[in-house]
Amino acid sequence: MKSRSCMRRVAGFGGVLLIHSIFSVASYAAGPKVVSGPNSDPNCFAPWTENVKLFQFQRKAGPYRIALANGFIANTWRIQMIKTAKAYASQPDVAAKLKEFKVVSTGEDVAAQIAAVNNFIDSGYDAIVVNAQNPTAFRPVIKRANDAGVVLVAFDNTLDTEDAINVNVDQKGLGRYWADWLVKNLPNGGKILEVRGVSGTSVDRDRHDGIQEVFKASGKPWETVEVLGKWDDPTAQKVTADAIAVHKHFDGMTAQGGDTGVVQAMIDAKHPFVAFGGETENGFRKFCAKYSADGLKCASGGTGPAQVAVAIKTAIAALEGNVVPQSIKLPLARVEDPNLKDGQDYYSEQSDNFFVGNAFPTCGINFTAQEIMGQSEANQ
Amino acid sequence: MRDWRYHVGENRDTLLAFAVFLIMFGIYTGNHPAGFTANVVTTAANKGVILALVAMAQTAVVLTAGIDLSVGMIFLLANCLASWIVVGSPGMTALGLLGVLLVGLLCGAINGLVVIFGRLQPIVTTIATGAVYFGLALFLRPVPGGDVNSELADSLTGQLPGGIPASLVVLFLIILTIWLPFRRSEIGRAVYAVGSSEAAAYMSGVPVRKAKFVAYCLSGLFAAMGGLFLTFFTYSGEASAANGGAYTLYSIAAVVLGGISLFGGKGSVIGAVFGALMFRTIGDLLFVFDLEPLWQPLFQGVVLLLAVSLGSLRLFQIRNRLDLFG
Repeated sequence: MKSRSCMRRVAGFGGVLLIHSIFSVASYAAGPKVVSGPNSDPNCFAPWTENVKLFQFQRKAGPYRIALANGFIANTWRIQMIKTAKAYASQPDVAAKLKEFKVVSTGEDVAAQIAAVNNFIDSGYDAIVVNAQNPTAFRPVIKRANDAGVVLVAFDNTLDTEDAINVNVDQKGLGRYWADWLVKNLPNGGKILEVRGVSGTSVDRDRHDGIQEVFKASGKPWETVEVLGKWDDPTAQKVTADAIAVHKHFDGMTAQGGDTGVVQAMIDAKHPFVAFGGETENGFRKFCAKYSADGLKCASGGTGPAQVAVAIKTAIAALEGNVVPQSIKLPLARVEDPNLKDGQDYYSEQSDNFFVGNAFPTCGINFTAQEIMGQSEANQ
Repeated sequence: MRDWRYHVGENRDTLLAFAVFLIMFGIYTGNHPAGFTANVVTTAANKGVILALVAMAQTAVVLTAGIDLSVGMIFLLANCLASWIVVGSPGMTALGLLGVLLVGLLCGAINGLVVIFGRLQPIVTTIATGAVYFGLALFLRPVPGGDVNSELADSLTGQLPGGIPASLVVLFLIILTIWLPFRRSEIGRAVYAVGSSEAAAYMSGVPVRKAKFVAYCLSGLFAAMGGLFLTFFTYSGEASAANGGAYTLYSIAAVVLGGISLFGGKGSVIGAVFGALMFRTIGDLLFVFDLEPLWQPLFQGVVLLLAVSLGSLRLFQIRNRLDLFG
């Protein structure tokens, strides 16, 4: 009995080896094919520009083994990102396509992250999703992944490459979205308080450019007062209070972050509620819902940690042999007044710092806070 | 026979580091989905060699009873410089390599001169010079980027026939051609003497200043070699303060794991190499064991603490601490 089970095990092992060798031979020829189209899902996988290459990977049979190679983890954004990734992987229709979803965080050291991706490739994972510590350091790994037929998708901190898939955040588009909302709510133009982020960063610059571009194009008289809120509630609250003290009245406001603090400053200074284009903090949306009737008309949009779900969706689509762009413009997770609903767009029981921009309607992706918070940060 | 015993006793800590590393690496590859394959070993070796070289740099200074908090920054500076100049034709590449090593040597020499003639504590000196070296690195690479001779990089981070990681062979050659001759030279013995007791060494006519100077130069050279390997591994340069700081701290951990006394005069860079490989393997264990990301730093810390404590277990066995010196 014992020897038979032993033999069976040997036979099984041989079978695995055989299958493995067949598959590895098949997959070595892979790497994405550049095709002329059509894009399998242009609504979700919007190409960054019209000239972006379209990839088609060799179709693989599911269920898939997918890995998330994260860099550092020491902030709430990253923790929520990992929780969201696991929540997405356990949604029934996604879970049906996955055999394994593994998360590893390697810290600041880019060499350790590259080694982790190498390890995932050698362990036979079908796709690897990375939040890269360094945009330029992955060239050798990208080549290895393509040689091995592994789908590599970068998001948040993307890769400087045309050989792996990047899911990019459209920061300028976010600025345009906020300004569009103000233009819509203030048809005659007016005086706007613009609470900017951290000066010198490309994110701050791009969002600002987007806002100003729309104002200029509207042809109406706009006056913007710029202050630096550093994407941080206390800082944004202080600079807003100062700005209100100096300028007395604004017709509209927009903030890149720290929005809860901006609204709080408005309340403290007894400034009348005005139209507002802002990010996706839970506290901000709580205020928006509470004071909507008093004139706080909000558009809340952003590209929060839930973007990891778009990256995973892209990886699965690529594994299924669907045509996807090499560089994807991440859709905005957004909601506008008066559509804010408790338990869906914001959560009155959750903390103000929870990122609630978790719905990507063009991709069919949505999460409740319970789904996300119910996930531990554990690796699976 | 006594000679043999003496050598084992002398290298006890190095051997212990080697043994613990072997056990950890066995656990790692035993649980790895791909197992003990050439690719898995090469990945681990490349990552390990980068830290091993920085740990060797730290060792050179620690042996003189100093500590070098600028090794991580020299390492970064070498990385950023290499991403500019280690490119082009074989001749240009060779010149670039030489340039990077010279800059490393120069950084080490500056550290040494300030410590010796400025009569400053090494810890303070190297915090300051480290900031300068980081500033230079940032000047060279304000944003990550650059390039490196990819043929050279591929061959040094790839595999030799038989699946042997090329980086390990290079590391072995570095030890063979630089460390061993140094260790056997008069100046090498002087470094150990200075680390054991600077006053006694001085009174015995040991060239204290010269020994310290050479140790710091060697440190800069090894750190630059580490920076070169980082460049070969990542094909680019990046001036990341967090990364430089992390490698400095890792190098100190690796030195202690390798059985080198922070009080100086005891240990060998070979121990530091195994300490570095051990440290990397502790990180790799996270890959094969499923741990919560938030628990990973805690897990690493506990394993590190246990590994460091191994070296002092002997204290419990002896009646008189003076026996340790017997």
